[in-house]
Amino acid sequence: MQRIAIPPRNNWQQAVEQLGFGFHTANSPYWDESAYYSFSLGEIDLIERATTELWELCLEAVQHVIDNRLYTKFAIPTEFIPYLEKTWEEDHPSIYGRFDLCYKDGQVKLLEFNADTPTSLYEAGIVQWFWLRDFDKDKDQFNSIHEKLIAYWSYLQSYLHPGKLHFACVRESLEDLTNTEYLRDCAIQSGLETQLLYIDDIGWDRANKIFVDRQDQPIQNIFKLYPWEWMAGEEFGPNILTDRNLTYWIEPAWKMILSNKAILPTLWELFPDSPWLLPAYFEADRLTDYVRKPILSREGANIDLFRSGSLLQQTDGEYGAEGSIYQQLFTLPDFNGKHPVIGSWIIGQEPAGMGIRESDNLVTDNLSRFIPHLIV
Amino acid sequence: MRKTKEIQLVLITALFASCHQPEPQWRAGGRTHIRSDSTAPYTLMAHPNPGAPLLFYAFHPYGLYTAFGYRRMGYYSSALSEEVNIRHNAFKSRIVRGGFGESALSVES
Repeated sequence: MQRIAIPPRNNWQQAVEQLGFGFHTANSPYWDESAYYSFSLGEIDLIERATTELWELCLEAVQHVIDNRLYTKFAIPTEFIPYLEKTWEEDHPSIYGRFDLCYKDGQVKLLEFNADTPTSLYEAGIVQWFWLRDFDKDKDQFNSIHEKLIAYWSYLQSYLHPGKLHFACVRESLEDLTNTEYLRDCAIQSGLETQLLYIDDIGWDRANKIFVDRQDQPIQNIFKLYPWEWMAGEEFGPNILTDRNLTYWIEPAWKMILSNKAILPTLWELFPDSPWLLPAYFEADRLTDYVRKPILSREGANIDLFRSGSLLQQTDGEYGAEGSIYQQLFTLPDFNGKHPVIGSWIIGQEPAGMGIRESDNLVTDNLSRFIPHLIV
Repeated sequence: MRKTKEIQLVLITALFASCHQPEPQWRAGGRTHIRSDSTAPYTLMAHPNPGAPLLFYAFHPYGLYTAFGYRRMGYYSSALSEEVNIRHNAFKSRIVRGGFGESALSVES
């Protein structure tokens, strides 16, 4: 893995905007093509194998949590437990997830799993691919995201309820809207009937006890870019449990287990010999060099890094009320002050590609930049 | 790992094709045909801002000017019905809305 500095394309803003990528710059560029990361095929094979095996471990871990009713460790609302178990037992449709991995010194280690509402899908699947076509069209990339999304939506068709597949996200975020529209684009190409609506436009028909869209039509299947822990705590959350349509929500409720950082000590307890896992515990006194992570947090908020018991770095935020876990410190690699984390996508049941976000510090937060990659 | 593949984006390319008209038409304030969803016919949509990048055809930010400055309220999307885009909340006694979406402005993950 190498970081190569290059001049950006002269018209890079126009080039990415023509792809519909509108959030390339905030206060500073989020899409950053002033460099790329190069990987050997052997390194990509390693990341791909790690992703495959981590997915298998995660599925075993979900079964373990359910069998042993470890829900309190995950702060899962009691009233949602039967529904969560139902979605697991009935294998409700799921489309994707993103493992955040640290690759350093030939080792791949899982930092966390964004299993419910991962973003940066469009940048990884489309924007960096077209960058490669401009930069060096003879090179390859670890990226079959687009094909696998279309293929898996197609596979899921026969598992969905009859009717449209709705897509929902918040109305205030262009990033969320773009990710959702990209997923919908792939669903359309797979032959599904789709419709977009904002999450706050979802209606509840009190007489019929079903969810409806803006045209008051029943919602039978819905992809929602909105976390389960938020849905469960909001006004309509309990309605999911009484919904007469038994709507399929994608991602399904059992992803509440995997998207929760309590999965990290659970995985370590079950698979301490796995080369992809870092030691992780629910207790603070098991490690001296560690990262404290709230079990429910987003975008690198409320993360504390400790080395030899001393605070090395920390981030602000408003998470942590539900408890924290402690994971062995395994710092991101340092490329002259640039710290990349690999987001490795699982689509359906298969690894599908990766995107790299880079930060100036050891915690990848909402100021990180997306850097393209290629295979040499 | 997919060098031979051709990528198509039906939502984006439909928008791009409909917006990619000769410049004089833009200047003249031409109209854009946009499809609201995969099952709906193309519908007319006023061109919001001649000369703006594609992004603004797909997602138009909208907001309010208040005493404290500009506050963005959200994004219009050409994929949504006009009723939704203007945030019309026609209350029907049997149906309630707004029960999701209170927690945050973005999932950011």
